[in-house]
Amino acid sequence: MNAPADAMPTALTDSHQASDAALAARLACGDAHALDPLYRRHKGSVYRFALLWSGAAAVAADVTQDVFVHLLTRAEDFDPTRGPLQPWLLGIARNFVRRRTGTQAREEGHDPEALDLPAAAADTTGPDDALSVRRDVARLRAAIATLPPHYRDVLVLVELAERSYADAAAICGCELNTVRSRLSRARALLARALDLDAVERAAGAATAKGRS
Amino acid sequence: MTPPLPQLDTRLAALREAIAGEAPPPSSDRVIAVAIARAARGGPRKPGALRRFDAWFAWPLALAASITLLSFVIRAVPPQSLTESGPKHAAVQDLPANASFMPLVPIAELERAGDALVVPARMSRMSLAQSGLPVNPARAADAIDTELLVRPDGAVLALRFVH
Repeated sequence: MNAPADAMPTALTDSHQASDAALAARLACGDAHALDPLYRRHKGSVYRFALLWSGAAAVAADVTQDVFVHLLTRAEDFDPTRGPLQPWLLGIARNFVRRRTGTQAREEGHDPEALDLPAAAADTTGPDDALSVRRDVARLRAAIATLPPHYRDVLVLVELAERSYADAAAICGCELNTVRSRLSRARALLARALDLDAVERAAGAATAKGRS
Repeated sequence: MTPPLPQLDTRLAALREAIAGEAPPPSSDRVIAVAIARAARGGPRKPGALRRFDAWFAWPLALAASITLLSFVIRAVPPQSLTESGPKHAAVQDLPANASFMPLVPIAELERAGDALVVPARMSRMSLAQSGLPVNPARAADAIDTELLVRPDGAVLALRFVH
């Protein structure tokens, strides 16, 4: 039997229904328990972002903890007038994951053309086969993990975390056009790394031949 | 605009679907729960601006305030105040800093000592024992900062502990 809503403890319902901004404000004023609903709401997004970015579950777990401990101790740094909480958290996650994977310093010297991927398995199964899909996803994850950090940022944020271009620009601290160009470049690098550009070209050529 | 790559989009969609249910492990939940409990025990925090102020200025400010207060107390306590407090029987190590003067002579003699001087002195706890004050034998060799109320002829009338 479902309990009536008003039977719930007031404090619990209040904290779980409050907006992110209100909870962050409570956190900034010292109400540590306000972190609990925020953690429940956003832990998945932060963890998945860190997981896709780093390619390692252990790093993603550590980054998630870092982000929410940071929120607990520095909630006053969040300014709700500048945007919602989740992009702010993802921005912090981006900094932590870069720090943990040590890529910040290597960013300048990274060769975006040299993506080192596991070899593609022969396509012996049909496109609907679950095993084939899993293998494709695994190769894609490996390819993403080898992208240069600034390309990986926008690809993970826009294509996988489904953030807007504006959010991605705010998180990465760059212009909207920079996000667009980096995303385009990241997709091209991925397509090349996965040999998808050859597939697309072949498909395009076949279509053209069929028309003629 | 990003060029269309349908095969890539299909794989990206598959990856989005594959990780949709991913969540941090229970160990992360426990770490956060412990952090919340620890922070909750710490009590309410001050607003951010004040905390930042504290972080930069609290210690120098506290030090300056302590020095100012100490000098004010040392200079401002009149010798007459010693007549208001009688001898104390607490152990030396238990006495608070800047306690009132403890008379070492009869009160009547103190009341006649109008021109007495306050002289800072560093004394061993053993010498305090010789003046009849209780001293912890384990710390008898330690030195202690005092101020002595001294008559012009050199007789020590009272003392108080600075630290």
